[in-house]
Amino acid sequence: MRRSKAAGALATSAALVTLAACGGGGGNEDETGSDGNDGFQNAAETIAKDESRQGPAPEVEGASAGGTITVYLPDDPGPEDLDPTNGWSVTGNSIQQALTHRSLTQYARDNETGEMVLVPDLATDLGSPNEDFTEWTFTIREDATWEDGKPITAEEVAWGIERSLDSEAFPSGPGTEYSKHYFLDADKYNGPYTDKGKDYEGITFDEAARTVTIKMSMPFPDMDYWGAFMAMGPAPLGKVSDPPEYGRSPLSTGPYKVESFRPSEELVLVKNDAWVAESDPARHQYADKWVFKFAADPTQTDELMLSGNTESQTALSASITAENYANFNQELGDRLVQQSAQCTSFWAPDYEKTTPEIRKALAYAYPYESVWQASGEVPGVTRVPANSIMPPGMAGKSDYQVDGEQITYQPEKAKELLAEAGEEGFEIHMAYNTGSPTTEAAQKQIEKGLTDSGFTVKSYPVPIETSLYTIWTDPDNKINKKLNLRGVNWCSDWPSGSTMIPALLRTGATYNTAFFSEPEIDEKMDEIGTLPLEEQPDAWGALDEEIATEYYPIIPTAFRNDLFAFGEKIGNPTGDGALGAPNYKDLYVAQ
Amino acid sequence: MSAQATGPETLGSLSDEAQITDPNSKQAKEISGKSPMQIAFARLRRDKIAIVCAVVVLFFVLVAIFADLIAKAFGVDLETVTACEVLECNFANPGVGYPKTGPPFNDFDPSHPFGLAPRTGADNLAHWIYGCRTSLLIAGAATLFASVFGIIVGLVAGFAGGVVDKVLSFVIDFFLTIPFLLAALTIAPIIIDRFGTSDSYETVQIASLIGILSLFGWMTVARLIRGEVLSLREREFIHAARVLGMPTKRILFRELLPNLTAPIVISISLMLPAFVAAEAGLAFLGIGVTGSASWGQTIANAVPYWSNYSLYLWEPLIGVVALVLALNLLGDAVRDAFDPKTRR
Repeated sequence: MRRSKAAGALATSAALVTLAACGGGGGNEDETGSDGNDGFQNAAETIAKDESRQGPAPEVEGASAGGTITVYLPDDPGPEDLDPTNGWSVTGNSIQQALTHRSLTQYARDNETGEMVLVPDLATDLGSPNEDFTEWTFTIREDATWEDGKPITAEEVAWGIERSLDSEAFPSGPGTEYSKHYFLDADKYNGPYTDKGKDYEGITFDEAARTVTIKMSMPFPDMDYWGAFMAMGPAPLGKVSDPPEYGRSPLSTGPYKVESFRPSEELVLVKNDAWVAESDPARHQYADKWVFKFAADPTQTDELMLSGNTESQTALSASITAENYANFNQELGDRLVQQSAQCTSFWAPDYEKTTPEIRKALAYAYPYESVWQASGEVPGVTRVPANSIMPPGMAGKSDYQVDGEQITYQPEKAKELLAEAGEEGFEIHMAYNTGSPTTEAAQKQIEKGLTDSGFTVKSYPVPIETSLYTIWTDPDNKINKKLNLRGVNWCSDWPSGSTMIPALLRTGATYNTAFFSEPEIDEKMDEIGTLPLEEQPDAWGALDEEIATEYYPIIPTAFRNDLFAFGEKIGNPTGDGALGAPNYKDLYVAQ
Repeated sequence: MSAQATGPETLGSLSDEAQITDPNSKQAKEISGKSPMQIAFARLRRDKIAIVCAVVVLFFVLVAIFADLIAKAFGVDLETVTACEVLECNFANPGVGYPKTGPPFNDFDPSHPFGLAPRTGADNLAHWIYGCRTSLLIAGAATLFASVFGIIVGLVAGFAGGVVDKVLSFVIDFFLTIPFLLAALTIAPIIIDRFGTSDSYETVQIASLIGILSLFGWMTVARLIRGEVLSLREREFIHAARVLGMPTKRILFRELLPNLTAPIVISISLMLPAFVAAEAGLAFLGIGVTGSASWGQTIANAVPYWSNYSLYLWEPLIGVVALVLALNLLGDAVRDAFDPKTRR
């Protein structure tokens, strides 16, 4: 799952916790106090599964109904449309999956341990695979309804899932990665809109038994996790769900429905009276109304959240700025929630245009902490140095170090490596966003780091309104053709290497911005899916290490954490570890 | 400024009658043989506010001209520094994200008298000095181009009259209808798109900004000059010049232009501060100069730090306000000095 802000890809970096503080200023330290500085938090080891959990969801302690919750999403434009099949961003999915759109399975937060659990949603359990995971059958529960009160049928679920196979209609949807890759004959069938009228054998349903069966072209043991995506949920039959119109006001199945939606501005959700609490094992319907303010001004949001006024008491902010981190830490205490996300930021040098030596030199030339500081992150809290493709907390993550120890900013070493490769003054072509102080400042730091390391830099400014991803992922873009250094921020879609490595490094994958292509590695990725379940995590870890040591195609620059600020009256201020977002499902307004 | 309602003001300051009641009458008599320019300067010299403003403006002009030397004298420069060498990057320490030395959390640091910028660790003084240069360079160049163009158009339109006047007046009105900010917002991305990949991006940016400002700044001058010319061209001395067979060019530049000194000086002195403010405003909106130092850009960067590091915001703000205020007051004083109807 990509992060909405591509700018972050270049603007992020890992940072070693400096020892700069040792020098002195003890008095200062006592005054400000440094309580609550927990440093970086690793994501949960694995996400447990509880296939027997049934609705209604257990009440949150002390929860009360009523009130309006306002969510500020500073600098985050949010989803462009609300079509569940098209949603593949942390912001959009975290909101819709928690509040409006149900799918086969879902995540619930265990409020005692704080860990996420995979539980059933529209399916009565987590699905039953056949022996080699090439066929999954889900039984659809009977009491779930649409917002108009009609029951959700197995056919509608099957239709919703089939939509995810259309990468023409939903070019940026997650189906392009998972459905297209794993589902039976997905390479021949282009989806219900592109291949109109063509029959597709891969997804079948039985209305009497209320089952939906999905056949795979290769073993796919993670189908239950994939089922937690809203793309694996129902869509109304017929013309109603035609894209792109459906994306403007999709029919809701969750506890809330869409009242109004203005892209990049505001999303207002109100109670969906047709939602049946007994049918849903994890969602609640505490607040009366949700207001999401996209692309909010970060400074104004900070001021509001710090002011503690009536407006801020029932508000929450999905990010805070680094300049106010110390203030937030002091003022909000527990209500400043640090949420780990299984995310890694990368620098992606073009695989064709660079050599492993150059890429290694690049890794030493990236001024990790400084870039990060310049882009408004808190070193050691929201970013830490990264060593591998798989983020911490992911089962099987290997602690290998490509160069024996953690790579840090060492311009001298980068220079040596370049000289050894005979590539002094290697010209780097990179794009960056102008029009935002943070991206410009970060770019300056990067240019300095690269220049000090013996590279020459040619940078291409892109107005901030254009996401860098649109340039990086478009092979015909005239700027993209010149670039030999791109980037990507990637968060796992579920805690398995299968959502990181293939999405970033398989030949032709959308977000393979390095254009890495090794048939041997592609084969190995497919092979891992055929291994016994318990061996897979380690196999992914081993593959991660193999790719890095042999090819070093992408440079991991940082693992990420997010900071959420909750207003005084928001009950149960917690984060969702599966998505790296506020835990919308369990929030309420304290009365 | 209100003048006496009775007769004398229509005769101007050279009227003997007026000066009898005027406290400055004796001096006025003494300088009665001087040109209007000299009279104006004499008046300016006596205006305390004008002198103070002129000194302030002179200070900024000197800072802009000798930016390199001043920066060197203070030992500061615009070079990008590795942020974490000068900023606190350890989250466990107080003041994370802020400079290790100097304001806001530490004592004055003589090597960075204006402090350091958070995020980048850039030196504020260097950015202030070079921001002043950028500001005056752009405003000065735009004023020059806009006024020269405006004067020529105004002269031609006013003097030629007829179809030429109609056409030129239409062009003036047409340009007046284009919303400046909207045009600037539209042109900026086009410039980035067209020149973003070229080596001279920064120069192009400054040139385009000067271009935009002058493109939307010349109309008022042109209108003013046209009006003046319309009233002057029917005067006796112009008729005389025509009768004598003077070439049009000579009439325009030798007879008309000297009589337009006052409106020209006035419009220039008021255009300059408007352009300084416009440049800062555009930079604040992120569509002005981004490649080099600029006050507006620094202000935009500093806004989030208002509550924690207000000095960072005050520095460029005071620069812009002081310069614009001084230029405006000086412009007013110049206008008063040139205006024969003014009484003081």
